[in-house]
Amino acid sequence: MSGRVLVVDDEVEMQRALKTGLGYHDFDVRAVGSGEEAVRETAAWRPDIILLDLGLPGMDGFATLRALRPATRAGVIVVSVMPGEKDKVRALDAGADDYVVKPFGTDELVARIRAVLRRQADVPAGEPVIRSGDLEIDLARRSVTAGGRSVKLTPTEYELLRYLALHAGKPVTHTTLLRQVWGEYAVGDKYNTRYVVAQIRKKLGDDPANPRYIVSEPGVGYRLQA
Amino acid sequence: MFRRIAPYGTALVGAVLVTAAIALISIRFQVRGLSAFYLLLVLWLGTTWGRGPAVAGSIAAFLLYDFYFVPPVGTFEVRGQSELLELFVLLAVALVTGQLASSLRRTQSAAEALAADERAMYELATAALRSPEVTAALSLLSERAERLKGVSRFALVAMDFGRAVDLAGGEVTPDELRQAAWSYENGHPVGAAISKGAVTLMRTRPEGGGAAFLPLAGGVVVMRIEADRTDAADLRMLAALIGLAGLLLDRRRAVLEAERARGFEASDRLKAAILSSLSHELKSPIASLRAGLTALTAPQAGLQHEQRELLQDLDGQALKLDRLVGDMLALSRLEAGVELEREPHRFADLVGTALHQLHAELKGRKVKLEIADDLPPVEVDELQVGRVLTNLLENALEWAPSDGGITVGASANENRLTAWVENDGPAIAPTDLDRIFETFWTRRARGSGLGLAISKRVVEAHGGTILAENRRRGPRFTFTLPLARITAAR
Repeated sequence: MSGRVLVVDDEVEMQRALKTGLGYHDFDVRAVGSGEEAVRETAAWRPDIILLDLGLPGMDGFATLRALRPATRAGVIVVSVMPGEKDKVRALDAGADDYVVKPFGTDELVARIRAVLRRQADVPAGEPVIRSGDLEIDLARRSVTAGGRSVKLTPTEYELLRYLALHAGKPVTHTTLLRQVWGEYAVGDKYNTRYVVAQIRKKLGDDPANPRYIVSEPGVGYRLQA
Repeated sequence: MFRRIAPYGTALVGAVLVTAAIALISIRFQVRGLSAFYLLLVLWLGTTWGRGPAVAGSIAAFLLYDFYFVPPVGTFEVRGQSELLELFVLLAVALVTGQLASSLRRTQSAAEALAADERAMYELATAALRSPEVTAALSLLSERAERLKGVSRFALVAMDFGRAVDLAGGEVTPDELRQAAWSYENGHPVGAAISKGAVTLMRTRPEGGGAAFLPLAGGVVVMRIEADRTDAADLRMLAALIGLAGLLLDRRRAVLEAERARGFEASDRLKAAILSSLSHELKSPIASLRAGLTALTAPQAGLQHEQRELLQDLDGQALKLDRLVGDMLALSRLEAGVELEREPHRFADLVGTALHQLHAELKGRKVKLEIADDLPPVEVDELQVGRVLTNLLENALEWAPSDGGITVGASANENRLTAWVENDGPAIAPTDLDRIFETFWTRRARGSGLGLAISKRVVEAHGGTILAENRRRGPRFTFTLPLARITAAR
């Protein structure tokens, strides 16, 4: 799998390293150093993936993300040195698909890029069954099986798992889960989601020491392993 | 001398003059009871000079009246009983009148002195409180005190955070500063004390007639008093001035402490900001380094096996550097008092997340869990406690033999959760069990020496404790966490 990757980073060394590194993995890479250029280049070149550094001079990463999001369906991976958890949540809620913390290794980045590309390719909605590893969610029959074993979930548990499964591999924030599962006006008590996730894990037979299905993203939310 | 005799002289002269007046009147008029004129004199003497001259005047009047007017005139002899009675009535009335008059005078002069004291204190206090500079007000106060009789010196020494500072009222020698500090620290006055609203001088004066030291809440009064020149009113005034000085020193200390607290707060914020920006500056080049180094390890780069290995080693070093920078920032933030985002969490979930993050380091190794299913939730900062768990687990991974076990456990009572991470590695030397939590102390080759120090601060920030101990099979780290106040909500 290959694709077009737009690197938005003001450090020339980083631009060069990523051009080389991602180039070895058969990506077509271009790099720009500012948010304004990123918006122009996205419109002109139509990349599949945008690697967006949050600490840009001038128009910052969040402003760039807001400017990009309505105009492109490209996967956006936010990149940042020492992002606070609030920054991660803010970026995800503003439409980022994933985040990677600097410094990162090329392999890790490539894996993240591929995961986002795969999710975008999988999008043919209307597919009645979502599969994630040995987990199967039949949307038409609202049934769940794990390792071939049928699992009985409450409606709330099912909704939460379904939402995670629809975005398998992507970190989903607590606020998004609360809104999607409990409704638009749910007042955020993260312990609700934590409690329900713990119940789902138990029913799926997940080992808390080695979670196979639902992984915690500390301070952010949850991710269903793709 | 003259001042003391003059009233008595006046009493005598007055008695003679009144006698002359009575004589003149009695030549022309036949009036009885003219001796009452003497009472006027005694009244005047008593109110003007006090009891002594009044008594002297009474006796003089008694004798003169007897000599000149009581028959037989010209002698002190008294014949008739009624004349004798008249004389003694005169003496008694004169004595009582003098007594009353003099006590009236005393009360009045005391009231005047008190009013003067109060006026002076009022003026001084308003001036002192109006003055924004406490030191200026204290100088004013010291000047006023030195105008009192017998007070030849009145200096103020402030005690600022254990240091004696000469503030007002003339120079204080280094030796006296030391004595002042001693007096302050022991709360022990030297040479003088305050009792019943007045300064009292101690009989045991410091050697060589040195200064007296009187400790206050925020400093020490250094003064020199000549006992034989003072009077009670001045000693009262002095006590009042010392009281005011105590208040002013208190105010000065409050201002200093507020300034100091502001300074600390600002320097903590500045430190955190500098470290954050510094870490950012350090991490950006590391990010470029890692991106470049790992780019070249791809097979497509066409490098040979040894070259790739070298690059991987270098990347490991860059990673270590990154970890060190991150740990230093984390530690300094904890020291600056970072705010915890405490929320209810299930301890088992926190352990699961930590183990997931250490997935690569674990290399498929199993960690044994002894965490009951029904543990109540803890109220902690997820990220910070996650840091504690990863630090302790990494430490355990480093020391546990590859076939030996690592165990994470937890139990709870009604107040707190107690968690432990143990491994079957070599025991920690008994002398190191405490030192192990110190900054930069490490026995690991790979560690930054900050992991356990960070863990200790995180646990303590949550109001818990952490300790290291040796079991028979290997070291164990035990720490406590607060339980959540809420119960599970659906």
